[in-house]
Amino acid sequence: MDILYLLVPLSVVLVLLIGALFWWSLSSGQFDDVEEAGRRILEDDD
Amino acid sequence: MSEPAATVAPDGACAPAAPTPATEVVLAVEGIHCASCVQLIEMQVAAVPGVAAVDVGLASHRARVRFDPARADLAGITAAIARVGYRAWPVLAAGASRERARARRMALWRLFVAGFSMMQVMMYATPAYLAIEGEMEADIAKLLNIASFVLTVPVIFYSAAPLFANAWRDLRLRRVGMDVPASLGLLVTFLASAWNTFVDSGPVYYDSVAMFVFFLLGARHLEQAARERSGAAVEELARLQPARANLLPDWPRSMRAHEVAAADLAPGDRVLVRAGEAVPADGRVCEGRSLNDEALISGESRPAAKAPGSAVTGGAVNLVAPLVVEVGAAAADSRLAQVVRLVDAAANAKPHWTLVADRYAARFLWAILALALAAAAGWSLADPARALPAAVAILIVTCPCALSLAAPLAFSAAIGNLATRGMLTVRGHALEALAGATHMVFDKTGTLTTGRMRVAGVDCAPGAGEAYLLALAARLESVAVHPVAQAIAMAAAPHAQLAQHHAIAQAREVPGAGVEAHVDGVPYRVGSPAFVAQLAGPAPAALLRHGGSRTLAAVGSAAGWLGVIGLEDGVRPGARALVAALDAAGVAVSLASGDRAPAVAAAAQTLGVEQAQAGMSPDAKRAYVASLQAAGASVAMVGDGVNDAPVLALAQVSIAIGSGAPLAQTRADMVLMSGAPADLAHAVDTARRTVRVVRQNIAWAALYNLIAIPLAASGAMTPWMAGLGMAASSLIVVANSLRLMPSRRARGPAAAAPSAALPAAA
Amino acid sequence: MSQETYNYRVVRQFAVMTVIWGIVGMLVGVIIAAQLAFPALNLDIPWLTYGRLRPLHTNAVIFAFGGSALFATSYYVVQRTCHTPLFAPALAGFTFWGWQLVIVLAAVTLPLGITSGKEYAELEWPIDLLIAVVWVSYAVVFFGTLVKRRVSHIYVANWFFGAFILTVALLHIVNSAAVPVTFWKSYSAYAGVQDAMVQWWYGHNAVGFFLTAGFLGMMYYFIPKQAERPVYSYRLSIVHFWALIFTYMWAGPHHLHYTALPDWAQSIGMLFSLVLLAPSWGGMINGIMTLSGAWHKLRSDPILKFLIVSLSFYGMSTFEGPMMSIKTVNALSHYTDWTVGHVHSGALGWVGLVSMGSIYFLVPKVYGLKQMYSTRLIELHFWIATVGIVLYIAAMWIAGVMQGLMWRAVNADGTLTYTFVESVKATYPYYMIRLLGGTLYLGGMFVMLYNVMKTIGQGNAVDAPVVKPAASPAFAHA
Repeated sequence: MDILYLLVPLSVVLVLLIGALFWWSLSSGQFDDVEEAGRRILEDDD
Repeated sequence: MSEPAATVAPDGACAPAAPTPATEVVLAVEGIHCASCVQLIEMQVAAVPGVAAVDVGLASHRARVRFDPARADLAGITAAIARVGYRAWPVLAAGASRERARARRMALWRLFVAGFSMMQVMMYATPAYLAIEGEMEADIAKLLNIASFVLTVPVIFYSAAPLFANAWRDLRLRRVGMDVPASLGLLVTFLASAWNTFVDSGPVYYDSVAMFVFFLLGARHLEQAARERSGAAVEELARLQPARANLLPDWPRSMRAHEVAAADLAPGDRVLVRAGEAVPADGRVCEGRSLNDEALISGESRPAAKAPGSAVTGGAVNLVAPLVVEVGAAAADSRLAQVVRLVDAAANAKPHWTLVADRYAARFLWAILALALAAAAGWSLADPARALPAAVAILIVTCPCALSLAAPLAFSAAIGNLATRGMLTVRGHALEALAGATHMVFDKTGTLTTGRMRVAGVDCAPGAGEAYLLALAARLESVAVHPVAQAIAMAAAPHAQLAQHHAIAQAREVPGAGVEAHVDGVPYRVGSPAFVAQLAGPAPAALLRHGGSRTLAAVGSAAGWLGVIGLEDGVRPGARALVAALDAAGVAVSLASGDRAPAVAAAAQTLGVEQAQAGMSPDAKRAYVASLQAAGASVAMVGDGVNDAPVLALAQVSIAIGSGAPLAQTRADMVLMSGAPADLAHAVDTARRTVRVVRQNIAWAALYNLIAIPLAASGAMTPWMAGLGMAASSLIVVANSLRLMPSRRARGPAAAAPSAALPAAA
Repeated sequence: MSQETYNYRVVRQFAVMTVIWGIVGMLVGVIIAAQLAFPALNLDIPWLTYGRLRPLHTNAVIFAFGGSALFATSYYVVQRTCHTPLFAPALAGFTFWGWQLVIVLAAVTLPLGITSGKEYAELEWPIDLLIAVVWVSYAVVFFGTLVKRRVSHIYVANWFFGAFILTVALLHIVNSAAVPVTFWKSYSAYAGVQDAMVQWWYGHNAVGFFLTAGFLGMMYYFIPKQAERPVYSYRLSIVHFWALIFTYMWAGPHHLHYTALPDWAQSIGMLFSLVLLAPSWGGMINGIMTLSGAWHKLRSDPILKFLIVSLSFYGMSTFEGPMMSIKTVNALSHYTDWTVGHVHSGALGWVGLVSMGSIYFLVPKVYGLKQMYSTRLIELHFWIATVGIVLYIAAMWIAGVMQGLMWRAVNADGTLTYTFVESVKATYPYYMIRLLGGTLYLGGMFVMLYNVMKTIGQGNAVDAPVVKPAASPAFAHA
């Protein structure tokens, strides 16, 4: 099962990456007004 | 919360007036987790020179500090709190809500990191559980352990950082707080696992570490949410007061309004209150007719009609048409602000149960440390492999937080519940005492009866006219706020000019008897026939013929009797049901009234009260309560809050029907603003339920620890099970306490309506 | 400077090719379905044998049809929700031509028997390299557009598209690592069970991120747009995204139940497959409940029918999948036609219907029209396709369970009750039903092609002007 030497570290890196991405999205206020965000795509007159 | 004023000028509601000038501030304190935190902060702040009193609420996370502004300042106080490792800021400071949002976001993020890492670490740990002995190669196992280690590091250094910081602060101050055992358990487990990963080979517990931190933070997060919910009722009251007001600078010349902060309104300002808006301050209507919803302020669910001259209360919602209101008192002095301050102070006060729990929690923690050490020592002799898990399980399974949360959360939920029914709890011990009351003594006037007396008939001595008699009595009584005085004033209003020519001097009120004054230099009395008889001699029999169930207000001077005014008093709706409910609950009801015997007897009969004492002076009432207490009774006294102050002070718990008297001067432990007897029954019921919940909570916390500790010590409990148990035990306490919150349905449409109208007002 | 417009050109190109590649891929599918029922249909020509056409079918429907739909919708959604034209329009044009070249090369090499032999990753290394280049360009265009967005918030659909683009890049690069021997032959960088593990780590996540995350992105944009109401719970959609991202990665090993893979690794695969059910259903409920209070729209609007019915198939197959990953169930289902049925309930039901619904929404918009040429033809397409799917998957379920039972049946003396060929013979009627279902589904695509052609004939290739973000201070891009 040597493949785990690739897959496990890869998963750790991915986890950290996803965590960092989540951190960014939270701290940059992406989730501050989620209901408005849902309505917004409709006010797009197309 | 946006409390109308963070700085409360010289002491209003919460304690007898202090003679020295003092300033009071309310601080929000971040980082309080347990009773020992509260004690620590109180000690620190009390040590600051110039601080007169400090009171920290475990449930509310607020500190109320009263200090002499000449000798201490806010910065010094917050610095003192910071020195012991907590952050504090004034509740009204601009940054407070932002600060709170930031803290909340950080906490959520910590929780997320712990939860996320927990999931991933469990993923690496499952193979070890699933693999059959020898199926997994050692190097693969090591690889998975290293991966677990990498993902546990952020849990330890980031998510659990506040735990360690708290523990470290406690240790530096040479005491044991709630986070000390937990931190110790965490660190030991993590370090042992790291050692077994990199140096030695052996079992690792990364999954337990991550799980424990996640459970602990999760439980605290839910607890925080519950705390906010239990305080929500009070916050809702505070939110009623709108932040902005429409000032009419040129009224009545122009209706041009411009917006100002409600806090800047001064008495005499004219403001426009549009339909759907909330009234920004207490005041009087100058123009317009409308209906106001005052449900959350007075407990009265029917909208009150407002016309020019009517008093309006800040926070009430103006329902129908615009009103022009002249501001009577600044926002910080408004009735609503007083209500909020009263309830807030009560929620912060520590009832008996809290003190008991706090005392035990501190000792308990020491015992836990000793026990963990003993278990480790014992197991290392018998089976060294189990020493570590057993000791760690003891450290984290014990839950002093359940113990110290048991009471405060329940009380703050109950106080919030009562507040939404217009029932203010002013003193912390009130609920406990009310729950334990065996007797409830009513001061008849204005409690079980409507208090709105009505002049039913006037009997004049020969030579005096009815109208003149009423007008004179009204002028004499103008110094009194007694319902009798109001009734006479109302009846006399059309004839007021008949007594205008008299010069009245030296008016004084004799409590429970009446008023004495000099009219054109001659001493006059108005009040009970006995009181008047002392001055005017025995009453002519003809004047007293309407005795019966009427209350009589006699008028006389040294020259003789002028006449007798007969008043009638209605029984309040629901009063009969209240008496029946109290009877059923095993509370003996009695009337101790200053009124005449026939009137009292009549009321007692209609109400179904068996013990009724009439014609009692305040001293007699006192003696009566004392005699009940001597016989072992626990007395709840219900009065109007002003006349009967000495009796109220003597009773175990006192309840004022507060609609009449100014709130800030009440000496009662609870104030029933609605005046509806049904709410009194609700209060008794809530108080009893609260004490029951507190008992259950404490019993549960004790039982949990009693069972969990031996299990952990015997090695039967793994650390992750301990973590789960710990979190569950405090969540059960939280959930049980939240049962005392008012249910949405129970609060009914009357209470829901103003909040629905609020957005329009904002 | 003239008014800034969205880049619809590349959207139009991909949208049209979605329909064309759909017909090609499904036609090949119908041919091989017919071959299973009538083996003689390969006409003894090596290029037309089942073994060579089957990878062509999967590549054509997944990467040509599904891929084009994803390119078209993601380019459209990212521009509209970010209120900005595409970043690097030339590079976007390159992704179109590059992707078409990949597909054509696949269509040539696979029948010729040039294959690496890894399921869903059959293409040989030169084409793999081209895919990598096109995919990186795609990522540059997409994320570049996100970066220059004019609103602060990134709409949830873009999160799904973004995750799909990044993960597919990673999966493709790791799984396609190979040692070339000649220009058209290479060997995998991994050996034996290792290769199997990587292959299914890739294979499963290709389903998870290519066929799920990307299409969920479509769902989160086009359902609210077509229903004209915001998604039921935006909060839930965010939770859906993160939960899916965090759990999907680990479910791969369930494709290797009862193989040389260590038992514990198989068990993990099963565990996490079961965990997956929760976020999947959360997303499905969120999408369907978007219509709550407007269910009547479903009656009159066939595009909404496509979108909502696709979600019910999504729910069905995400329930079925975890069930099939349970080892005891898998013991029955593995290698039978049940698996084929499961895949097609996801592919025809979920991926196919949601793509068609989205393209029906998209085509009039990018050709400057209010609506498609004929709503009745959309309705017709919907019903033909739905009947086709139902026939297809019902046939495969029955066939699969029957096969599993026949294969494991043993006599009292321990010998097998049935020979393999007996189970093939018993499957014959179901292959016929499957062929009928597939043909109906393909027929629907022809209806769509006609409708799209007529619509294009009515309209003009117009690029809509960029819409200024509605003034809302909270959303101003600082």
